[in-house]
Formats: sequence, C-alpha cells, structure tokens
Amino acid sequence: MAENYEASVPKREVAILYGLIALVSLAGLTDSIYLTIEHISGRSVKCTIVSGCSEVLSSPYATVGGIPLALIGAAAYFSVFSLATLAAFEYKLAGTLLTLLAGLMFLTTLWLLYLQAFVIGHFCQFCLVSALVTTILTVLVVIARKFQT
Amino acid sequence: MKRILPFLIILVVLGVALGAGWYLTRPAKDSARSPNAVSINNPAPTSPTPVAKVTNSADPGAQPPHAIGPENAPAVLEEFGDFECPPCGLLHPVLKTMEKEFGPGLRVVFREFPLVPTHPHALAAARSAEAAGLQGKFWEMHDLLFENQRTWHDQFDARPTFEGYAQKLGLDMERFRRDVNGQVVEQRIFLDGKRAHGLGVKGTPTVFLNGREVPFESLAPDRLRVLINVELTSTGK
Repeated sequence: MAENYEASVPKREVAILYGLIALVSLAGLTDSIYLTIEHISGRSVKCTIVSGCSEVLSSPYATVGGIPLALIGAAAYFSVFSLATLAAFEYKLAGTLLTLLAGLMFLTTLWLLYLQAFVIGHFCQFCLVSALVTTILTVLVVIARKFQT
Repeated sequence: MKRILPFLIILVVLGVALGAGWYLTRPAKDSARSPNAVSINNPAPTSPTPVAKVTNSADPGAQPPHAIGPENAPAVLEEFGDFECPPCGLLHPVLKTMEKEFGPGLRVVFREFPLVPTHPHALAAARSAEAAGLQGKFWEMHDLLFENQRTWHDQFDARPTFEGYAQKLGLDMERFRRDVNGQVVEQRIFLDGKRAHGLGVKGTPTVFLNGREVPFESLAPDRLRVLINVELTSTGK
C-alpha cells in the first residue's frame, strides 16, 4: 500500500517545484542582503527623491531587538533555499518545515505591508520586492504540497 | 553522492552569500566606510571619514543665504535640508551643538531642498520657513519645524500647524500668508534647488564643509567635530 502511494507521487514534478522554490528564494536572499547592507552602512538612511527606503529603514520597525529586519529576512530566505533544496532531494521533513516557514514568512510580509502603508506611510521598493518574492514562494510551496498529498 | 549533493549546494550558496556580504560592507580604501551600524547619533568607532572634493562649481543659491556665524568664519558648513526628512531632524541638534561649541569659528548655512513628492509637507514647510525669513525669523521657524517634525509629519494638512508656529513667533500673519505663496519665497527655494543640482545633491541631509561634501557617515557629532577642527587647524584659527 505504502509502495503504491509512493509510486503515485509525481516525484519529478515535485522536485522541479522545489528547485524552482530554491531559485526564487535566491532572489529574495539577494534582495535582503542588499537591504541589510543598505541598513548597516547607513546609506539608505539619507532621504532621496526616488526612494522611500530611507523612511522605512530609519523607522523603529526596521530592527527587532537591535537586529536589522533585513538580516532576519536574509536568514529566512537562506532557510527556504536550504529546505527547498533538501526537499527536492526527497528529504520529507524538509518539505513540512518549509511549509511552516513559508506560512510564517507570508504572515510577516502582510504585517510589514500594513506597517509601510498605514504606520510609516512610505513604501520601500526593495521591501516590496521581498513581499512579492515571499508571496510567490508561498504559492509555490502550497502547489508543491498539493502535489505531494 | 546524491545524499551529499544538497548539502554541498547549500554550503556553496552560504559561502557566496557571506562572501558577497563581506565584499560589499568592507571598508573602502579611500573612504574608510564602516561596516558597523552608523547613524547620526551612533557613529562607528573609526577615525573620521575624509571629505570628498566637490568637482564642479555651482549656482550661488538664494541670496543672501540663511546663515549663522560670521561671513569670514574659517569653517563654513552648508546644509541642503528638507524639514520633513527624519535624518535632517536628527542632524538638527548636532548642528546646534556645533554652533555652540565653535562659536565664531563656524558659519552654518541652510539651503532648501524639499524632496517632493517623497515628503508631502516638505514644500509647505520650506515655504513657511522662507516666509518667516522675510520677517527676520527664519532660524526660529527652522528650529520649530525640526523640533516638532514628528508632530506635523503625520498630519493630513500641516499648513495650519505652520501658521500656528508663525503666530507663536509673533509674525505679521497677513504678510506671512501672502509670502508663503509669494514669488520671493518660490524664487529662493528654486535658487537653492538650482545650486543643489549643480553640486550633484541627490538627497538630504547633504552637507558641505568649506566646499567639500561630508559623507553621511561623518555627520555624527564626534566625527563632525574632528572635521571642523581639521578645517580650523588648516586655516590656522
């Protein structure tokens, strides 16, 4: 029975999906590394005509316990990359952990969008890129899980 | 090999990410940019950053400029600022301290550079300060705007608040309301903007010390103090 179940799972498609998730997470990782550097170097703290990043990155919401939120984001994207890579190589626990992480990241993204729109009053385009990447990742993870179950 | 491969991929990506982070935050040889957290009130514990040279001349800006300190002061600090910009608000007390510390050795000039549309109230604030300036109260209005930045920043329409400040300063309100929308004020902001563009100013606060741009990281009190002292020493005053 178990063997039949294993055989019915489209392994190749699932592996491709997790591979895609890993690739997309690299875009998020690049974005959050850039934001982390902007934050810690103080460059974006200067106000400019084209960007609202200075307002967002200089706001009290840009750090959690003194750690730049962008750095936490980079760690999260790296974790997504790692778990997706392991899941693509059929590490089953990785898929479950990835689902939990993606859900948590998506909820955090919604909260951060709310802060930018209604509390800080400015949008940082790099934060919006991160929000888009997280949303795509969440959708892909849901699809991958559907394939598996 | 198949069991090890994912871990190898993960390690490679980790290495690349850490390497990129290190490469992009390393101190540059010519500017000694600090990789540590830097803000105006939290300078990195490194030596002061040298100032970069301005390579082109620019328009003189609004005349006479808004300035504190004697015209022949050995150190002239020119700020291009926006009253609604949070880092400009943080720089405000720093410059006040420098003015007190260096007295006649330092001349501080303020230039208008309202960032529209990033800051919706910036232009109205600049107009209010300039209109107050026409009645000899520019710096008083300048101080009120920066000190209360957080109060009016969140308002839908900050102009009544600015009028309140004008009243508080004892300005002729009829003249103030006329001047706020007048051509003299508009022209002054335009001329300061023209100077800013000529100098390649892209954001606020941008500060020039004796004609040379001070990197943002060096606007921390300790670093700025050293830079001003260097200027005073080099001119022998």
